[in-house]
This record gives sequence, structure tokens and C-alpha cells, in this order.
Amino acid sequence: MRSQTLESPEPAVGQLAAIPGQTRKRRQLRLRRLLPIYLFILPATAIFLTWTIYPLADALVMSFYHWNLLTPSVFVGLNNYQRALSDPIFWQALRNGVMYTVISVPGQMVLGLAAALLLDQQIRFRAFFRTLYYLPVITSWVVVSLTFLYLYNGQVGPINYLLHDVLHIIPSYIFFLGDPNTALPSIATVNIWKGIGWTAVIYLAGLQSIPQEVYEAAMVDGAGRWQRFMKITIPLLRPTVLFLVVMLVIGSFNTFIQVYIMTNGGPLHSTETVLTYMYRNAFSSLDLGYGAAISYLFTLMLFVITMTEIRLLRRRYEY
Amino acid sequence: MTYQKLAFKALIYLLLVGGALIMIMPFVYLISTAFTPNAFVLQLPPPIIPPHATIQNFIDVWTTENFGRYFFNSTVVATCSTALTVLFSSMLAFAFARYSFPGKNLLFYSMLMTLMLPTLILIIPQFVLAKHLHLLNSLQGLIIVYSAGIPLNVFLLRGFFEDIPRDLMDAAHVDGASIWTMYWRIMMPLARPAIAAVTIFSFLANWDEFTWALTSISDSNLYTLPIGLELFQQQNSNNYGLVFAGSLIAVVPVIVVFIIFQRQFIKGVMASAVKG
Amino acid sequence: MRRLLIIGLSLTCAIVFPASRAGASNSAASSLHGTVTFWNAYSPDEQKVIETQVIPAFEKKYPGVSVKNLTIPYNGMFDKLITAAAGGTGPDVVRSDIIWVPQLANINALQPLDKYSWFPSVQKQVFKGNLFTNYFKGHYYGLPLDTNTRVLFYSKPMFKAAGISGAPATTQQFAADCAKIKAALGSGKYCYAEGGFGGWNLLPWIWTYGGSLTNKSYTKASGYMNSKATLAAVNFLLSLYKKGELSPNILGGGIGTWDGFGKEYAMILDGPWTVAGLLNNQYPSSTYGAALVPKGPGGSHSVVGGEDIVMMRQSRNKAADAAFVQFMLSKQAQTMMGKIGQMPVLASLVRSSAFPGYYSVFQKQLKTAEPRTPSPAWARIDDVFSTTLENVFRGNAPTSTALNSAAHTIDGLLK
Repeated sequence: MRSQTLESPEPAVGQLAAIPGQTRKRRQLRLRRLLPIYLFILPATAIFLTWTIYPLADALVMSFYHWNLLTPSVFVGLNNYQRALSDPIFWQALRNGVMYTVISVPGQMVLGLAAALLLDQQIRFRAFFRTLYYLPVITSWVVVSLTFLYLYNGQVGPINYLLHDVLHIIPSYIFFLGDPNTALPSIATVNIWKGIGWTAVIYLAGLQSIPQEVYEAAMVDGAGRWQRFMKITIPLLRPTVLFLVVMLVIGSFNTFIQVYIMTNGGPLHSTETVLTYMYRNAFSSLDLGYGAAISYLFTLMLFVITMTEIRLLRRRYEY
Repeated sequence: MTYQKLAFKALIYLLLVGGALIMIMPFVYLISTAFTPNAFVLQLPPPIIPPHATIQNFIDVWTTENFGRYFFNSTVVATCSTALTVLFSSMLAFAFARYSFPGKNLLFYSMLMTLMLPTLILIIPQFVLAKHLHLLNSLQGLIIVYSAGIPLNVFLLRGFFEDIPRDLMDAAHVDGASIWTMYWRIMMPLARPAIAAVTIFSFLANWDEFTWALTSISDSNLYTLPIGLELFQQQNSNNYGLVFAGSLIAVVPVIVVFIIFQRQFIKGVMASAVKG
Repeated sequence: MRRLLIIGLSLTCAIVFPASRAGASNSAASSLHGTVTFWNAYSPDEQKVIETQVIPAFEKKYPGVSVKNLTIPYNGMFDKLITAAAGGTGPDVVRSDIIWVPQLANINALQPLDKYSWFPSVQKQVFKGNLFTNYFKGHYYGLPLDTNTRVLFYSKPMFKAAGISGAPATTQQFAADCAKIKAALGSGKYCYAEGGFGGWNLLPWIWTYGGSLTNKSYTKASGYMNSKATLAAVNFLLSLYKKGELSPNILGGGIGTWDGFGKEYAMILDGPWTVAGLLNNQYPSSTYGAALVPKGPGGSHSVVGGEDIVMMRQSRNKAADAAFVQFMLSKQAQTMMGKIGQMPVLASLVRSSAFPGYYSVFQKQLKTAEPRTPSPAWARIDDVFSTTLENVFRGNAPTSTALNSAAHTIDGLLK
């Protein structure tokens, strides 16, 4: 929905067009109108072009070279791309990215909805609880990662202690971050823990946008709590769900800091993401061309995924 | 209240409290360990109430470990870059909302597209660019780079600006007001809640930024809190008392800001979803 | 009110800009002036000596030069160095691990030192073997700074509780002692702990069994990485792990070797810095002993470690850097650092009485210690090595298959 925009006062264009030789004047007037606008948006646009668009193009160029910043670059054509596509660690990182998403997105969606439903009730101290649930969201990833490094410790960590000594759920202590089978789910769980608060708040916005009258009408018709939930709440939350899925998937593929700090891709690349692999290739091995190629392949894949998501979910929504 | 209603209410409270406990349990251990002297950390059972509680960790971390310096760096960088990004983003958002010009749609949609990319994906060419522009290893470099967090703010603010009633603006426009005057004197005061929300989000993001600072800063005097904290942990990998004391120093300002501005915060988050 | 806020904000940001300049340029004047930024990964004790004794002594000798010391944790140092070198924001002089030097030289980050007039005289004073770690494609890119190796540290109280009188002299004795410790001290206690699967960690055992990673000229891994002797060494360690005598923290995520020594772990292999470190953790010297690596079929072999001092090519004040490098290799500086556990590289200081008594064990071990492969691809080779052995321990592959494929891969990396 485009809002109406403002135009500087100028003579009606039609009048000028009728008079020959007036095209130049029209152009000048137009410039006079546009110049302040362009100047006004210059800082933001310049920064955007320099810091986002230019690097986007530069990365593509870089991906065709072998370069370490200290010696002259060497053109290698599609070599980096071929290498990436046959690199088992790259594919492992992609698989891991999918796994992170598959675990953390539904986790946040379901638990966030549960939290939102609880917070939406008529209870006292609602703001207090909401704050508690939101605390993980505003805590920095660095602090969260360091905290969970301790919590997940395989010999003296509180999580092991609680699960084994207090609740007797697990038979023996688990090296959560040291075992290739548990490392990725452990980090994905941290993703869920950190995101529930945000997801819940978004759901709350969606829940609160459902007019009370609809519920009241249903109650008059004799619909029970569960029926009201299934027939009204869930369908009317569709736009919220769509928004959440898109945002959470993007966020999940953004996973970097927590992996970098907790496991740096290990053990045995079981927690490696494309971003951590790209970063290490660029800044530990100084293989910038290869890192750029990986980043481009990843960008293309993400683009395809996001577009597909939007198309799929939109279609189901419009009935 | 009927018995059923009472039971239902009790269940709600039970679940809420249970969930809240899970949410804050990590913080409980964080705080407890920060106040524990190092000799007693890494023990079973992990203490919830710190044995021999002390504030020595905080003192050590602030003075000998230079966290005071890191705190200063973080404050300066976060404040300045937030001011810049909010200023520039709101200017652009205002132009998007109220003016038309050639290239407007192209610019807007390309900004929207870049929001779908992971922020780190461009770090390699950005590093090379920063090297050539001499933006590496300096606080002013960080400020300039952090102020580039524009697309998201533009997107959010444009939505707010479009919703603001146009009467005041039309009146001023007829009087021949320049675009800057419209923006600064009329739109900004009206959009205060939105600006506040965007300022808070940007400040938090800039305060917590880790990866770019890690990559660009080599001089230890210029570390921001996230970097200082991470490198500190590498050096003192099992002295969690010190590490968590430092973490609390990094995190408490954020929590305080959040608690004070809670309502604007939550409103801002909700509104951003609606705009999406 | 709003105006005040804006003015205050602008002033703060404006003040910051000139004040936070980090990369101030040094002018290389004819008499030595300027700043030398020095990066290292010293332990806190070593850092104290460098900052309170060595650097002040240097600055006294060269009043116009000031040394800026930055001690970084070892774990992140190489990455930081590489990134800083790439970004042009790196230091001037670095105390670099010997295994990084070929790689740094290969990417053109280091200044060759052998063209300087003062080089030959310093070259004569240092150990040849350590000097060789700086050699790459015809030039010397640094000088040795300190040397070390790993020896066997054992906890006397834990040995006493298990009924063991002294350090094991052979690998068979080692295995027998491990069984005793397991029997006497129970679960949660281990006879031996190792921090990982890298070359630094496990090559001593492989060499002690008579195996090796490559041939003597470092050109081939097949026939060596997968030799019978190497296989025997790996299987020996694997059996210790399976019997619950080697701590599972080798796989990561548990208690570090230092933190657990004397409490959970009876024996560890470590370097001379351990002595200062253990003293700091309140371990009186009567509670632990140091001995040679137990002898195996191949003898008693440990791994050569140490650091070289290198000059970055980007440095803008090479004259001052050169003065600092030479000072670090002077008898004065080497003795100062030597007292705190940094074993000197000057041949003239070998029998000096200024150094702690425990040096004798390390010096004896150094006589038979082997270096890791000096190749620019060492980081990748080490990665293959440790991943392979980790896979073996996790049961993902039988030992001989894993070693065969590792040898093949490493052959490719050695080209």
C-alpha cells in the first residue's frame, strides 16, 4: 500500500508541455525538486552501497582468484567452486545448517507459542514473567556461549549434574560438546532457549490482534476452549507463523558466534556451519578466494530456500 | 471461581513458573559462579549459593584484566555508532515514506533483499575494503562500520512513518518547508516511540557485536567487551569465576536498559512483526 | 534538552576520534626511535618477567625506543596474527611457535633476517637444530628464542596410594603402573591424561615405539605414518583408553590436564612452564616429580617445542626491531627468561648454574627429542593427524585403515 508522497510546488506539467522550448525548464525544475532529496538520503545510501553492495560484487570477483592478501592474486577461474562442491566439509556444514534449522525452528515455534499462550492469560505479574522469558533474548551471544560452555561441561557441568544426579534421567555424564553425536543438538538447544522469548512476544502480538468479538461469538455458539483454539486462534495466527518461519530460518543460518566460541566447528566438524568454515578458510588459512566462493554458494542456496518458503507458505495462506 | 477454573489457573501458573525457571537457570549459575572464589569453582555439586562469596573476581577483572578499559571502548563505540545509524536510517526511511524519486523502489527492494542474507556472509570483502580505507584496528573504524546497520532500521521506521497522519506535514509543506525541516522538526517528535525502539535495538546490537571486532581489532587497548571477554576466557579457561564476573559486567548494562525501557522494547518488537 | 543531548553526544564522539588512534606511525630516524609492538603467548609468570625485567633493560639501553608488549592466549594467537598480518595491522616482532614459521614465511609475512649484517654473529651462538626451524626456501626468517620439550610429570601422592615407588622407566612399566592406579584409585581417576590428538600430544609415543610421521627428509608419509611401529603405538594408547586408564578428556569437554593433575590425573606430559604453573596452583615441589618419557622399542623420544623470534615484513621500524631481536638473544635477556622456565637457545648458557635444577631433565630429554614436520602445510598435516587418531578413538575406523588413508593424504600435503 503506497502512501501518498509529497511533491514540491511546481507549475502543472501539462501547462509547460504545451509551450515549445519548455522541456529544459521542466527538467531543471525536476532536478531542483530531486536534488535536496538525493542529498538527504546520501549518507545512508552511500554507506549501503559501499558496505553492502560493493562487497557483494567484490566477493564474486574474489571467488575466481586464489589470494592471501600478502602476495599477488592468481586467477583460477571456477577452481574454487569445483573445490567447494567436492569438499566433504562444505557438504557437512550444509547438512549441519539444515539440522540446526530442523531442530531449532520448530522448537522455538512450539515452545514460543506455548509461552505466549501462557502469558496471554489473565494472570498477575504478567510483565514480570514476560521479562524473565525475554532475558535470554537480550543477553549477548558471547555471554550465552560462555555460560553454556560451563553448563555443558562433561565432568562438573550443572546440566549433567541435574540430569544425572538429581533427575536420574541419564545413566552417566555426557560430554555434550565433546561428542560428535550430541554437540550439534546441544548448540541447537541453546538456540531454542535463547529464542523462545522473542518468538513468544511475536506470537503475543498476533494473538492480541485477534478481535475479542470473534471469540465471544464462538462462545455464544457453544464452542469450548479447545475448539476456540483450533478453529479461531490457529488459523488467524497464520501470518504470524509465516513471519516467524522466515525470520527463524534466516536466524538459524546465521549461527556463528555460539559455534565459534563453544566448539569452533568441532568435534570432527559435527557442529561446523558454512559461516564458521568460511571464516576459518579466510582468516586462519588466508584462502580468501575459497572463502568467497563458499559464501557465494551459500548465499545462492539461502536465496532459493527463502523464496521457496515464502511462496509455499503464502499459497497455503491465501484460500 | 469454580473448581475447574481454579485448577486451570493453577496449571497455568505452574507451567509459567516452570518455564521461567528453565529460562533463568543459566543466569543463576552465571551469577553464583561470578561471586565464587576460583578455588571453589568446578565442583560437584555445582553451587547455586556461592560458597565463600566474594567480590574479588569483579575487582580483579575490572582492574588487572583491563575490563574497565573495554567497558569504556564499548560505551563509546556503541553510543556513537547508534547515534549515526539511527540518524541516517531515519532520514532514509522518511524519504521512502513521504517522497518519490527515481530509483526509490530499486533502492528499497535491494535493501530488503540484503536483509535475507546472513550478516557475516560479506565479511571477507568487507575486511579487504576496510583495510584499504584504513578502518581496521581503530575505534573510529568500528564506529563507522557499526553504523552500517541500516537496512533493518530503514525497513522498520518506514512502516512507522507511513502511519503518521499527514495533516501537520501537509501544512508545513504548503508553507515551503525543506525536507530537513520536515524531518527534524515535524516527523521526529511525532515518531519518538519508534525512534526510541530502533535506538534501543541498535544500541544492543552494537554493544554485543563480536565477529567484526574480533577480526579487525589487533590492539588490546581497543578491545570491546565481547572480544575482551572471549579472549579472556581462552586464557583463563577454567577460572570461570573471573570469566563470569566479566560477563556480568558486560551484560548488566543491557539488562538495566531493557528493564527500564521494557514497554517500548516489547512494543517495538511486536510492531516490527506486524510490519513484516 | 534534546539539543544538549546532541551536543554532548557529538563532543564525546569527536574526542574519541583523535584519541583512539592505534596505528600511529613511527619515523625511522637515524638514531633509534619509535615503538616496537611485540606479540607473544607467554604465561602470566613469563609475562611478568618480560614486562618488568627484560623490556625495561632494553629500553634503558635504547632510550629512544619503547616496546609495546601484547601477551595473547596461545589458542587464538596464530589466527590473530594471520588476520592482523593480512589487514596490515599486525605487530612488529613476534615470538612465534616454531611450527608456524614456515607457513608465515610462505605467505610472505616475515622479513628474512639473513641479509642483515648482524645475523652471522648471532647465528653462530645459537643451537643449529633450533636455528633450522627458521629455514625456508633458502633463507632464515627468524632466530630461535627459546626451546622446550615435554617430559613425564607424575603425582607422588597418587603413586604412593597405588603402591608405585617411582616413575616408570619403560612403556611396559607404564602400562603396569596404569593398571595399579586403576585398581587402587577407582573410577574418576586416571593414570594418564592428554590434552588432544595433535602431533604435539601423541608424536612422543609414536617415536618412542619406533614409528614416525614421515621419513627423515620429510617428503613421504606412506610407510611411516602407517608403519607397524606407529600402529603399535596407537594401539597401545587406544588400549589404555579402552581400559579406562587414559582420561576421556582427550576427546574434549572435560577437565584440562593441568586442572586435573594430582587430583584426577596421576601423570601428564608437559613442558618446563609446568613447574611455575604447578607452583602457582599451590603444588609444593615435593608432591610431584619429573622424569624422562618411558622408553619404548624406539628409545625415549619426546617432541621439540619452542619459539622463534621473527620480524614482520610490514613493520615500519625495522632498525628498532632488529635491536630488540638482538637484545632478546643476548646473554642478559636469555638468562632472565631462562630463570622462569624459558630454556635458552644460546650454546654458551647450557651449563650455566643460574638456571633451575629441573632443567637437567628437560635438557636430557632434548638430546633425543624430534621436531615436528617443518612444512608450510604443517597446520593441515596436524589436522589430518589429529582427526585420524580421534576417529580411531571414537571407533569410527579400525586403526590400520585410518592410518593408511592418513598416510596417503599427508603424502599429498607434503608435495
